[in-house]
Amino acid sequence: MTPTSLRILKALAVGGVSSIVLVACGGGTGTTSTSLASNQTLTFPILADFGTLDPAVADAETDQEIQQNMFDGLVRFDSNLNIIPDLATAVPTASADGLSYTFTLRKDATFSNGDKFTSKDVLYSWNRGAAMQGAYATNLAAIAGYDVVSNNKASGAALEALLEKKDPSVTLTGLTAPDDYTVNVKLATPAGWLLTAIALAGSTGWIVDQNAVKQDFDNWWANPATAIGTGPFKMTARVPKQSVDFAAVPNWWGSPKPTLTKVHLDVSVNDASTAITKYEQGGYDVVGYGGYSNLPVADILRIKASSSESSQLVLHPKVRSYWVSFNMVHDAKRTAGGPFLLSDGQSAHDLRLAFALAVDKAKLVTVVCQSIVCTPATGGLIPPTLVGYMGDNQDPLAKFDAAKAKSLLTSADPTGSKTKGLVYTYDPENALNKPTAEFLQSQWHDNLGVDVSIQPVSHSQFIKGRLKGQYTLSRDGWQADYNHPQDWYDNLWGNVVGCPDSGCTTGYDTAAYDKLLAKADAEPMPAALADYKTLNQQLIDDVVYIPLYYSVGSFLIKSYVKGAGTNSFFDNYWNTIQILSH
Amino acid sequence: MLTRGTLIYIGQRLVLIVFTVIAVSSIVFLGIHRLPGDALFNEHLHGTQYELLLHHYGLDKPLWDQYTSFLSGLFLHGNLGESLVNRGVPITPLVLRELTVSAEVGLFALVFTIGLGMLLGVVAAIRQNTWVDYLLSTTSVIGYSMPSFVIATFLILVFAVWLDNLTQGTFYFKIGWTGQFGTIGEIWLPAFALGFPYASIVARLTRASMLEVIRQDYIRTARAKGLRETVIMVRHALRNALIPVITILGPLVIGIITGGVIIENIFGIPGLGKEFATSILNRDYNIVIGVFTMFAAMVGIANLAVDLAYVVIDPRIRY
Amino acid sequence: MATTAAAVITRPTTPEQASLWSDAWRRLRRNRLALASAIYLALLVVVAIVAIFHTPYSYREVGVALPYSGPSSTNWFGADILGRDVLSRLMVGAQISLIVGVGTQVLVVAVGVPIGLIAGYYKGWIDSVVSFIINVFYGIPDLLVAMILLLLLGPSLNNIIIAIVATRWMDMTRLVRGQTLALREREFIEAARASGAKPLKILFGHILPNSLGPIIVQATFGVPAAILFEAFLSFLGIGVQPPTPSWGSMAADGLAAIRIAPHMVIVPSIALSLTLMAFNFLGDGLRDALDPRQKR
Repeated sequence: MTPTSLRILKALAVGGVSSIVLVACGGGTGTTSTSLASNQTLTFPILADFGTLDPAVADAETDQEIQQNMFDGLVRFDSNLNIIPDLATAVPTASADGLSYTFTLRKDATFSNGDKFTSKDVLYSWNRGAAMQGAYATNLAAIAGYDVVSNNKASGAALEALLEKKDPSVTLTGLTAPDDYTVNVKLATPAGWLLTAIALAGSTGWIVDQNAVKQDFDNWWANPATAIGTGPFKMTARVPKQSVDFAAVPNWWGSPKPTLTKVHLDVSVNDASTAITKYEQGGYDVVGYGGYSNLPVADILRIKASSSESSQLVLHPKVRSYWVSFNMVHDAKRTAGGPFLLSDGQSAHDLRLAFALAVDKAKLVTVVCQSIVCTPATGGLIPPTLVGYMGDNQDPLAKFDAAKAKSLLTSADPTGSKTKGLVYTYDPENALNKPTAEFLQSQWHDNLGVDVSIQPVSHSQFIKGRLKGQYTLSRDGWQADYNHPQDWYDNLWGNVVGCPDSGCTTGYDTAAYDKLLAKADAEPMPAALADYKTLNQQLIDDVVYIPLYYSVGSFLIKSYVKGAGTNSFFDNYWNTIQILSH
Repeated sequence: MLTRGTLIYIGQRLVLIVFTVIAVSSIVFLGIHRLPGDALFNEHLHGTQYELLLHHYGLDKPLWDQYTSFLSGLFLHGNLGESLVNRGVPITPLVLRELTVSAEVGLFALVFTIGLGMLLGVVAAIRQNTWVDYLLSTTSVIGYSMPSFVIATFLILVFAVWLDNLTQGTFYFKIGWTGQFGTIGEIWLPAFALGFPYASIVARLTRASMLEVIRQDYIRTARAKGLRETVIMVRHALRNALIPVITILGPLVIGIITGGVIIENIFGIPGLGKEFATSILNRDYNIVIGVFTMFAAMVGIANLAVDLAYVVIDPRIRY
Repeated sequence: MATTAAAVITRPTTPEQASLWSDAWRRLRRNRLALASAIYLALLVVVAIVAIFHTPYSYREVGVALPYSGPSSTNWFGADILGRDVLSRLMVGAQISLIVGVGTQVLVVAVGVPIGLIAGYYKGWIDSVVSFIINVFYGIPDLLVAMILLLLLGPSLNNIIIAIVATRWMDMTRLVRGQTLALREREFIEAARASGAKPLKILFGHILPNSLGPIIVQATFGVPAAILFEAFLSFLGIGVQPPTPSWGSMAADGLAAIRIAPHMVIVPSIALSLTLMAFNFLGDGLRDALDPRQKR
């Protein structure tokens, strides 16, 4: 149910984030005091039950925001998105050749079942993650021996047996532990991005306990008895698709020590309006976590107008962009075809431009988002506050010019045969996607005279179909994993592993783009920035996308909940949350 | 009451139910395996992961193999397999738990439907052409001419939101579901929303048959004997008025099951109906098949129970 | 009614077809509620036809008014979530509701009647098979059957009609089968058979005309059921697809906004409600008129 893609495949060093605005959470009128409530239970709904909580294979943003409270990495992001030590005592620096890192581990860390955390846990977790080839396995791709381990075919108990006897086929040769509290990492190639990758919450590289995992290799995380991590909270009860309970780990080794004693996740409500009603009845302390960060616009309008409740509404820009993708390649794998193909040259280019200019983006934001839950995407793919933002009104595709659009259409498609029977496909799980689709349909009808039918398909089917090139026009979007333009240009249109081709959603791939991307990825940051902006310019020149909007997350947080909220990338850690007496 | 004939009849019906369940689950199994898109695929899968997953779920075997192992799993072990979306969640305990939740709400709804419907019907019949009668006619018109999701939303608005605001949070109906069986404050509203459209039908039926029964000779005789009016109504009239109500019990039960798909979604109740809606959108084949199998068995058993209820209510009926 | 009912039962049916229909018309005219419903429905048809040529605004143009804004002099029934005119959408929605309602019943008759005739007439194994299939279909809640079908076929207007027919044909088949079973033993059918009439001729020349009354009544009651069914499908997101509005999808889309813009739910719900009531009252009236033996 993640609204946008979230993927890291290959990352570069990440610059510090300076411009992130942290939100002041909760806070407001009412009976807020500073003394703590006697009942420190936090209750909130999540949109869907977990896909998995196993760091080796986790891939959904909503799941990872739960995992960040159960597990730790060697390093992690703090709320200001700096990389800070977690299970390591310090953030290591690379050797001069950039090929080796030495992690010194904390001696006081323990798992929630009492097992001591040592270097063998790092080796087990990383070898296992590389061997299981989950979504974020490439976090470890630079480590020597990854190419061997990533070819592993064993799974389940068989893989556990291989891991236990330290079989070479599942052992990263670059990963060694001279003693219980030191881990040496040798890379095959320099990778300044390694620390960023393993800092990503709940992804491959986070630490699991072999004693717990081996009891049920695939589903250990689903059972409170074996869902063991080093984090401040542990699972205490789970009723699938109904509720999950967590409790603070007593005498947890880290800091800050959790104030909350219990966290109750309700899975049974999965309609945002129902969730808000229950919140207003006092059934929840927070709505907005676990996939709910896009609350219905109507409810936001109502709450904003309410004197008692408006202070509980927290709006925070998320680093997500939304746009429309064209299918630009037609071959044996990508079956949709359509009139927007790169191989069709200038007329297809004009057609794409016509479709882009025919959409009134300012009106989209006022009508669909009520100018609250999104802002117009006028500065390129990368949203403001991130490195690589082109600047307000710098994206010519974001302009609205109905007359030019119409004339482009008439010259490119004089008979109207090319644009007959077009379909725009979207996944309705995100509340804004349906009104956006209807808005686009109306704009193309009014400004181009082209009738496009719209087709909702479930998220899983949508992702599959889009990557396979089955849709001529489709909803597209990206949420930043980290603050670096490479996250966008490489993952979306670069030559990366994962899809059959580069540029999976559109199929777009040019030699000029790949060449410049390779150059940019190899450069240090300030120099690379200009190249990345040129890459966006190439996408603009080729009209690869129709920019729509940047997303704003919405949260409802009771005034007595202190420390809850979010930053641009992820939700706040539970151990920073307190329930004040109310 | 339980004659040999009745037992044979029950036996035959149970056999028929089993065949229906097999037929239904087979149709769904074969139908749904044609659906485009599946729950396993996502943008993160690369390399051999997808094949490994297909193998884990047996989806790489020929359809026929999958079908026979599904049938043998179902009938030999009561095993409906594992969720495709929520890894490691076995389906049989999941749908059984959801069945108890749905059945609980459904039973409350049934009590509402029959109790409230008959009460209103009787009152309207006795007080024919008074405001009670007209009020009943009006509500029953709303009951069968408004979509249940609109009725449910208004019920939430009135009893969960406005009542809460009006009484400053001291008295209101809760929405959502707590624990396995919910709390008493959580059941009333969805049960009412579920039963209301049918309560009006029951009320209309009861009113009509009451009006007819009241005019019968034996009621007049009873009156002449000097029996009290309430005794006459309860002992003589109501019992006979119950028969037409029983006749619609079958469709009523199915209606309540179907209505659950809508109502459970609106109220956030973790029952079978909600499971069906979410799993069919997620393409969680295995759960969809499981839920369908449950539904088919439930409808069959409910219909059988209704037929047996005839025997209890109406001594003239024998099987 | 009791006295006329007795008279009708003893009366032979065939020779007096004409007077049966004129009797029915006379009885229907006396039923004021049914007559008012018929007039309302006629008006609705007019609205639906007018909507083909003219609506106050385009039903699909976004932002003609402020989104969520209530009724005003320019937008009588207010605007919806995208600022589209609710009245215009309501008018177009009338077309859709009528097409769904009437279309399904036409198909239900086309599918259900022949199967029912054949099963009832030939009895034996054909009847057993048909009965088993009917039982299987009754064994699954209709909404679930429709959902599966729509996911297989995709939610277009045609497919919605097909899906509803798939859940409703059994009612008609069962009715016609019952009628046929009863009628095939009657003297005038025996007589036709004795005089060498072909089964097809008997089924469609004798049995069908004599079952027409109940079929019409059943189909009339089927229309509101189908319209309501489409509303449920719309709520689940598999009803008529945008930009085409149906009353059900309009109400469902408005649910999230019910606390700031209740007109988005109330307006289509009332339209839906009135129409369903009208069909039901008309059905009641037709039943009393065409089939006086059957008591309420």
